Amino acid sequence: MEVEDALRMMRDPLGAPFYPRVFQVLLLLTWVVHIYFVTVAVGSSVTTIYGFRRGDERWLRLARSCARLTPSGVGLGIVTGIAPLLFVQVIYDPIWYASNALTGFWSVIFIIVVASGYTCAYVFYLKGSADGRLLWSSVLGLALLVLAGWIMHVLASVSIRPEHWREWYAPNGVADTRGIEFHSFNVARVAFLLPLQAAIGTAVTGLIYTWYRLKRDDADREYLTWVAGLSRRLGIIASVLYGGVGIAWAVTEGADYDLTAPMAIALGGVGLAMAAFFAAHRDPVGIGRRALGAWFASLAVVAVIREVIRATALSRFNYDVGSYPYRVDWGSVAMFTVTTIVGVSIITYMVMVLFQSGIGAGERIPRSIDRLGRVSTAMLGAWFAFFLLVGVYAVVAL
Amino acid sequence: MFVAIIASFHVIASHLTVGAAWFNFYVERRAVREQRPELYEYLRKSALGLLVFSYVWGAMTGVGIWQSTTAGNPRGISTLIHNFVLFWGSEWYMFLIDVVGIIVYYYTLGKVDPKTHLRLALILALGGTGTLSLIVGILGFKLSPGDWLHNGEILSGFYNPTFWPQYLMRFLLMQTITGAWGVLMASRLPRDFPERQKVIRWAGTIGLVGMAGALLVGRYWYWANVPARSKALLSTNAFPAVTVDLLIGGGILTAAFLLLASWKPQLQSKLGAMALFIVMFSTVFGAERTREILRKPDVVNGYMSSNQLTFTGLPARGIESEEAKLNRDGVLGSLPFLPAADDIDSGPSPEYTDHRVAVGRQIAIFECSGCHSVSDQTVIHLGDNQLALRQQSALLRKISANDEVSIRAILDNLGAYPFMHAFVGTDEEKDALAAYLAATVEEQQGPPRRCRRPR
Ligand code: HEC
Ligand code: HEM
Repeated sequence: MEVEDALRMMRDPLGAPFYPRVFQVLLLLTWVVHIYFVTVAVGSSVTTIYGFRRGDERWLRLARSCARLTPSGVGLGIVTGIAPLLFVQVIYDPIWYASNALTGFWSVIFIIVVASGYTCAYVFYLKGSADGRLLWSSVLGLALLVLAGWIMHVLASVSIRPEHWREWYAPNGVADTRGIEFHSFNVARVAFLLPLQAAIGTAVTGLIYTWYRLKRDDADREYLTWVAGLSRRLGIIASVLYGGVGIAWAVTEGADYDLTAPMAIALGGVGLAMAAFFAAHRDPVGIGRRALGAWFASLAVVAVIREVIRATALSRFNYDVGSYPYRVDWGSVAMFTVTTIVGVSIITYMVMVLFQSGIGAGERIPRSIDRLGRVSTAMLGAWFAFFLLVGVYAVVAL
Repeated sequence: MFVAIIASFHVIASHLTVGAAWFNFYVERRAVREQRPELYEYLRKSALGLLVFSYVWGAMTGVGIWQSTTAGNPRGISTLIHNFVLFWGSEWYMFLIDVVGIIVYYYTLGKVDPKTHLRLALILALGGTGTLSLIVGILGFKLSPGDWLHNGEILSGFYNPTFWPQYLMRFLLMQTITGAWGVLMASRLPRDFPERQKVIRWAGTIGLVGMAGALLVGRYWYWANVPARSKALLSTNAFPAVTVDLLIGGGILTAAFLLLASWKPQLQSKLGAMALFIVMFSTVFGAERTREILRKPDVVNGYMSSNQLTFTGLPARGIESEEAKLNRDGVLGSLPFLPAADDIDSGPSPEYTDHRVAVGRQIAIFECSGCHSVSDQTVIHLGDNQLALRQQSALLRKISANDEVSIRAILDNLGAYPFMHAFVGTDEEKDALAAYLAATVEEQQGPPRRCRRPR
């Protein structure tokens, strides 16, 4: 069977319940958040280990904060990974399921890897971060997180090379159902997406941390200034490497799809821009929010590049998200829209409360935030009525 | 099995989370109303436990189930996703509320004013309940797609015939779990704590009432909506009797414990409450397994079978039955992951010297390996021991089907077993499968007379 027919046949006959392009946009947006958290988990884990090795007081203090950050980063990374996992299966089901089958062993143990990595990081935070015992737990946790990222990368790589699936699945016509081999990978791509983004993401997070902590009256200015300076230096170095490795990605994987020039310009440009951003702010203490904005913009560019590679790879077989079959289902859309409104307001409220409490203003939450809390909690309660009413409609009217 | 274990862990973690969230809301409300700051110490411990175990492990086991079913049964999960992606997306928001919520709840404890913190407790309880609400429809769909099979409407599939009873049942069961959680937590209080007995009695009673209600709803409303074909399954070999024992025994023990708690609260100890939890876990395990087995051999009852082919069409959504076509054209070469018969080499390994056997092996992997160990590759070796799942050669030996002809006759009637689907494919393909199975019987079970009686 030709690859093109296979891809078309493997699409789910049910189609998507809304315009496929919308799912594509959701995929990109949620992936950006996902990659931010998992790279921060990796980066903070490295910082923890390095800090405890260095052992002087400032580094220890930083390392302890990072040890606490890692498990939260993994937790949020998992949760924000679920959304792209959902959307990728809606519009790219043929390639996603194929690559999961071809990498079956790793795909099944993937979550065990993540769970063990989380547990290791957590054990270190709880039992070791006070005095640096059990550092091996942190090291092991880091190794597992990197392995998890590697598996994600192989899944992505295999999925965009349908022309090889047959030979990978059944070498000599004999099916190999274990899926234990890493059939495809690109070192420049992983290096770019994982360690380097981890370094920049951690630098940005350090700046956010500084900005936030300085709002407290009892802030330790000297320490925070040191953290900010460190973050800036890390940011500059990592961004330069980032651009360079991005170009390496462009001339390797990019060349397979005639994308070398656009990729080199975009990725090299992102690296340069981030480096310039860090370099330009000689006094980095207050730039946290701007740094975060710049970083999310960069990640969005990277997300688009990943998508362009995928689209180009599949267009060779006339697979195109825009022509994915769909049938708009208003019931689903209503449910998702209403829940989005409720969810976003509740989460905004909770993050604001956390923020206020972190700067020591928890006892006197501003009126407006309190009002948001009252309204959004009421909406959450009302959501249940909506949920059941839609059900009544479905039973009575359909 | 692997999936089943992760799954019951997941179910327990998630129900417990919601139960505990409501319980904590109740405790915190009293703490605020009656100005009892000492209760906050309990809340802090509980929140930390939930933060680390329930939420993160709940999430990870959830993704784990998803990933392992993706590997084993991609088109099944694809059906669910293409129907319910926006419901799942809504669940994701609820879950995000849970996760962000517990982080905020824990880190702001004692650092924000009590009313605000109480509101966070309420948000957590509501968010957890929302998560469970949304998953009920998706789970129920696989067993009883209801009108969806005719009208193809996603809403009909979500609010399917077992949705309502299951929703009510889970709500009642949540009371049981919350009650049990309350007993466990209160029994950790010092014995002379003034309200220890009162809380235990109260929690035990709530749990009992919930359980009785759940049983009634389950027996008379839920069961009435389970498709008849699924009920027939319970009396076959496909259904391990131990599951029922687990369910009934666990139910009785749980009830007994709760009864004891509300009747003689002073007898409760930490150990007893822990035992209650273990018993309850195995009950949940039994219940979830039953629900999963009930829809065998289909992935979506009445639409897609476990070989991931749609055996009925869904004209309302423009979908044709795939099986009819494949019986005409053959499966090999017609499906993306299956090579055409001509492309299959006999290969160097002695297992497939004969071309027909090699073709049959491919078919067995495709059509039977979901439920049977077919080749040695799908058997887990532990030293000299093999961990085989319903090994096909052993089953065939048991019914004395040792040669191609008798195996072929069984294949003709495969669809007559309530737990299996009819063979899909052309006659040549059926012959090839018979040839392969005959070869495995001989190779794995030895010549007929030296037959080891399986168990
Ligand atoms: C949906 C899961 C499923 C699939 C797919 C499946 N089977 Fe089975 N099969 C079962 C179950 C369950 C049993 C009962 C096991 C027992 O008796 O312990 C069984 C039993 C059998 C038996 C023994 C019957 C008897 O009378 O004792 C044979 C033979 C058999 N299967 C052959 C096959 C073949 C050949 C295929 C592939 C074409 C296949 N099965 C696919 C679930 C399945
Ligand atoms: C904590 C460890 C994790 C790390 C280090 C990690 C890292 C990564 C990386 C590097 C990529 C990009 C791969 C590439 O393009 O080459 C990626 C993509 C992805 N991740 Fe993760 N990830 C982790 C956990 C998870 C989890 C738990 C989930 C699911 C719940 C998940 C869901 C996804 C999805 C769906 C994509 C692909 C999106 C797409 O193809 O567009 N990740 N991840």
